[in-house]
Amino acid sequence: MEDIDAMFSDLLGEMDLLTKSLGQETVPPAPLPAATNEVSFSIGFTDLNESLHELEDNDLDALMADLVADLNATEEKLAAEIKGLEPPPPPPMSSSLPALPPKAASAGPVPSHASAKAPAGGDVSAPPPSNTSLSPPPPSQAVKPSKDDIVEQMKADKIKLALEKLKEAKVKKLVVKVLMNDGSSKTLMVDERQNVREVLDNLFEKTHCDCNVSWSLCETNPELQLERTFEDHENLVEPLSVWTRDSENKVLFQERQEKYEVFKNPQNFYLWKKDKRSLKEMKDKDKELLIQENFCGPSIIVPDLEEVLHLREDGKKSWKQRLFQLRASGIYYVPKGKTKSSRDLVCFIQFDKVNVYYGKDFKNKYKAPTDFCFVLKHPQIQKESQYIKYLCCDDAWTMNLWVTGIRIAKYGAALHSNFKTAEKVAVNSVWSSRSTASSSSPSTPSPTIKAKSESHANGYVTTPHTGSLSQDFVNAPPPPPPPPPPSAEILPPPPPPPLSTEFLPPPPPDPILPPPPPPLAAKSSPKAAASKRNLPSKFPQHPPAMDNLPPPPPPPPMDDSSEPPPDFLPPPPPASGFGSLPPPPPMSSLPPPPPPAAGFGGMTHTLPPPPPDPGFAPPPPPMFTNAGAPPPPPPPPSPAAATPRPLQPSGSVKKMPPAPPKRSTPVQGGGGGGGGGGGGGDFMSELMLAMQKKRGGNH
Amino acid sequence: MAAWDLSVIVDDLGNDAPPVTLSVTSDLHIGGVMLKLVEKTQIQRDWSDHALWWEQKQQWLLRTAWSLEKCGIHADARLIFTPQHKPLRLGLPNGTTLRLKACFSSPVFKTVMGICSMLNIRRPEELSLLRPVEEKKKKKDKDLNVEIYDLCDLPLSSASRPCLYNMMPAHFADSPEMEAIYKMLSVTQPPPAPEVIAKQYRPASVVDKAHINGRWLDSSRCLLQQGVQENDRLWLRFKYMTFYELEPKYDVVRLTQLYEQARWAILLEDIDCTEEEMMLFGALQYHISKVSQSEPQLLTTTAAMDDLESALQSLEVKMEGEGSSASEMLENMTAPELSDYLKIFRPKRLTLKGYKQYWFKFQDTSISYFKSKEESIGEPIQQINLKGCEVAPDVNVAAQKFLIRLLIPAPEGMNEVYLRCDNEEQYANWMSACRLASKGKTLADSSFQSEIQSIRSFLAMQKTNSGSHGNVAANEESINTYSLVSPRYHKKYKVKQLTPRILDAYQNIAQLSLTDAVLRFLQIWQALPDFGLSYVVVRFKGSRKDEVLGIAPNRLIRIDLGVGDVVKTWRYNNMKQWNVNWDIRQMAIEFEGNVNIAFSCVTADCKIVHEFIGGYIFMSTRSREKSDVLNEELFHKLTGGHEAL
Repeated sequence: MEDIDAMFSDLLGEMDLLTKSLGQETVPPAPLPAATNEVSFSIGFTDLNESLHELEDNDLDALMADLVADLNATEEKLAAEIKGLEPPPPPPMSSSLPALPPKAASAGPVPSHASAKAPAGGDVSAPPPSNTSLSPPPPSQAVKPSKDDIVEQMKADKIKLALEKLKEAKVKKLVVKVLMNDGSSKTLMVDERQNVREVLDNLFEKTHCDCNVSWSLCETNPELQLERTFEDHENLVEPLSVWTRDSENKVLFQERQEKYEVFKNPQNFYLWKKDKRSLKEMKDKDKELLIQENFCGPSIIVPDLEEVLHLREDGKKSWKQRLFQLRASGIYYVPKGKTKSSRDLVCFIQFDKVNVYYGKDFKNKYKAPTDFCFVLKHPQIQKESQYIKYLCCDDAWTMNLWVTGIRIAKYGAALHSNFKTAEKVAVNSVWSSRSTASSSSPSTPSPTIKAKSESHANGYVTTPHTGSLSQDFVNAPPPPPPPPPPSAEILPPPPPPPLSTEFLPPPPPDPILPPPPPPLAAKSSPKAAASKRNLPSKFPQHPPAMDNLPPPPPPPPMDDSSEPPPDFLPPPPPASGFGSLPPPPPMSSLPPPPPPAAGFGGMTHTLPPPPPDPGFAPPPPPMFTNAGAPPPPPPPPSPAAATPRPLQPSGSVKKMPPAPPKRSTPVQGGGGGGGGGGGGGDFMSELMLAMQKKRGGNH
Repeated sequence: MAAWDLSVIVDDLGNDAPPVTLSVTSDLHIGGVMLKLVEKTQIQRDWSDHALWWEQKQQWLLRTAWSLEKCGIHADARLIFTPQHKPLRLGLPNGTTLRLKACFSSPVFKTVMGICSMLNIRRPEELSLLRPVEEKKKKKDKDLNVEIYDLCDLPLSSASRPCLYNMMPAHFADSPEMEAIYKMLSVTQPPPAPEVIAKQYRPASVVDKAHINGRWLDSSRCLLQQGVQENDRLWLRFKYMTFYELEPKYDVVRLTQLYEQARWAILLEDIDCTEEEMMLFGALQYHISKVSQSEPQLLTTTAAMDDLESALQSLEVKMEGEGSSASEMLENMTAPELSDYLKIFRPKRLTLKGYKQYWFKFQDTSISYFKSKEESIGEPIQQINLKGCEVAPDVNVAAQKFLIRLLIPAPEGMNEVYLRCDNEEQYANWMSACRLASKGKTLADSSFQSEIQSIRSFLAMQKTNSGSHGNVAANEESINTYSLVSPRYHKKYKVKQLTPRILDAYQNIAQLSLTDAVLRFLQIWQALPDFGLSYVVVRFKGSRKDEVLGIAPNRLIRIDLGVGDVVKTWRYNNMKQWNVNWDIRQMAIEFEGNVNIAFSCVTADCKIVHEFIGGYIFMSTRSREKSDVLNEELFHKLTGGHEAL
């Protein structure tokens, strides 16, 4: 725990520094290209320092936004928890719990305060009050639990709280620099619970690309001259964590046709022996059948590959030919003088512990017969080693066949479901863009989607890729109809003020907001907010945070104008319109509005809804926070705005302060964190179950 | 109309009884004949299952409204009045023999439906009957001792779906004996003794495998027409290797029997697999037999249990998934500790010191070691994180050698480290901890204890095996690992070499529930490249040599016997039509793109081949049919040929 405290205070100090430096440094537009080649990520909080220094200003902004959002989310959650957990007497907390809980509890609070300060600066003070006021009076606990029940319940709650804290504190995050096709880069904060799909969605939002299924995250290893695309279900942090400190490895955001080629043209993999012409004319219905047969049956069928490949001999520079066979259980080869019968095959490698990589330019590096090489190695191996297996194929197609076959054998059904999810995302983006387009300005389309996807990205990692998507999208779908207009409207009318008015009319905001219920409720109807009070607390903070930033805002716009281009312009129709429009408006419009507003304004733009008008001063902030996160935006904080996604509630800090009385059930409290609330609740109840089980066992 | 004498043999009167002679006219219908016959015998009993069998024509006279004239029956006809349902000795996939009454008068397809419904096997269209491979009857007495489960007393409740009572069909709930039979059907059999495996017929080549397919009965004709007599032996097997909607909840018997068939296919090398795959199959068999012994309930009840269990498991998984916070909590409360003196050796280091003793401590997924216990508070000499590492056993109980070999990944490659334990107990603990750590789990993980347990039982196995070799006293803790692999490996490895290999494969599946393990076994089986292929030796039109046709659920393949290679593949979905020329017994198939093939069948009747292909096409239509009712008519249309109903 102490470590964590230390880390937090470090982090906070760092953030303070950053905010300061932001003000100064922002002025000169940062040189993007130069920074690109720098180390691209940092591990854990401890390094945040170093790596932060290397980031460009815009990155910093983005990161800041992330962090702020994060902190807020955590605080919300904490607040909720506290309310839930500590009914009337706050003291009990520490008393009954063993050693850990108390500690955890104490640890939690400290950082939370600090964090609040960090982002908000001195202004923080204001928010808390607001929270308290909003929050209803101490809730009367449950209905009429017996004493025992209550005691039990409290114990359980405490444990839960402790667990939650532990969990939050332990979540590992990386600051990852992702290289784009055009040489630019984006910096993201990735949470260890996020999978590649979520990160991709995140990037879709940021780049306004066309979201097609080929977009991938790839890792490269220059030392070994390797690269591979991450699978969508992989957690991104894990593979990145094994990079060495001085690693020159990079993460790229690219379109890779081969990623899902097997689902687009399965015949090329499963019927590759047939003549090419007939394969080309394959009917869709037959393709579908192939996919059914091979991916939808009780077991996944691996393409039947048997070929002579070149194998690099251990430690030698020579390559030797062998007849290899791919099976679901691994790669085998036919030993000299033996038949091809299965029982004579010798196992070359199995896939549980290794990944497959494409080799680059091995002809030069290893004197390979061709450049079509692939490699199998344990992900942790980063340097030349005898434990790396090098194979060389005669042509590119064969190599692709093998690499895809190995992926099918290794990942099985996950590949197919990844593809289906990716397809859904792609279709949605097209659909949304269309709908928006029709509704109004051509380019607006993606905004709605993005807002949603973003929200989910940030939202809650707990839910699996699809799950999270659906969650977010759920909100999205409904909005589409209404939102489009708003978004469209928003964009055109750059000036924030006008926007707000226009926005209001359209219902869209509501639909969109749903996810961030808290904010909405808070601002729209305090009463309604009751249940969400947790959020209110956050909101206030956000605004404050922004307040600190005020100075920076102006400069950001500048950056925006310079920076945005890459993001917005290139991007396909979907988001581009959206993105592009905002930038200008922000510039002009933002300045005028009050500083705080400005800061959020950026967010607002992104979010069609927030603007909500009237209550601009007080209410808006909340909106922003929520809204801000989701939207892709653009404006004020320039790059920062774009990043604002709060990464999950995972946040690291929890806030104990105003421990308001308990409100809803603990579960709900957990949910406070945002859209993902549900997940938290589940976890809790499961935990309860487990504990009960355990207890029973002891007796 | 003139009356004439018709003599009918009544089965029930005994073999030597003279035929009963009736005076009939040609317009008398079959029903009337039977009525007269019954009256004449003067036996009071239930004759409802009886019908007339016309011996010369080899057909049943089942249309009771038809007159003798219409049937073409004259005074010279040899008619037999006999029950339609007769006892049959049915060999099941699990190797046991059932005696039950099967219908001898309806097409085999329907007969199988009746049998399956009696045995509670869904999707009867996937199964069929075949004539068994003759056993060499050297030791008659031994064969006679085979236990036969008798189901002949079951009422012929027809094919109506049996209602479940107490998780089993009502007719099995009547008596303890019946329950025992149901248990036999629905619980996997213990691993067979190695000698039993060795004694069984094993196909040695594709041609051998092709011969077995000549034994399938014709689905469109009845048993009696195919020369099957009362009390004959037949095998019930899964014939079409495409299993529709396997549902553990409802398919207890089906899953069990399917597993048994798959297991025997592996053990007898009916389907080829690699050594690694064989070890995994062995490990799964070991696990399945262990789990089903330890929970004597039926697979059914465990299916319900599985739900609960899987819920609990998913809870655990979820908790672990959530940053392992939950398991950590539990850990912090009950934190198991593991520390001890062990010896370490790093083969890569250029020291000749060999094993050196240190005080080892397990923390999370890492081991640290110190000079001594007393110094364990300070900085460790080294800390090794085992996450992602490979763990291999190197154990010889007899020699008291308990080595854990670790391959630990690092940026520069893999580091080899050996840990040497002094005894079994120590080994079981540390090995389990290493295994969990390699998967990123800590000692707090719920599977730690069961992991230790499984290692212990495996060690025990090695012990007993090294002691008494051939004698398989199936002590439940000890399974001879020879029982889990094909005889080829009996020759290749000694038990003590084989056991660690199976143990190695076992570590990845040890946590599976019974049902999951069975399903996993079937999955791996179905993923084998040769899965689902039924071979027939054929001669293609225009070719002078025998070749092999492989019939799979979705395609036909042509195999060159000389090389053993697949030379051609045709998929059913490209098939336009297929015909049988019954006169010259030749099959002709036309595929899209003007591809025509024709062949005659050497090792099986072409009706069998025709039925295989039509059958698979029928199977593929099932997903389209919404209703659960089996479309018998379509099946016969697709498989019956000119004799179709």
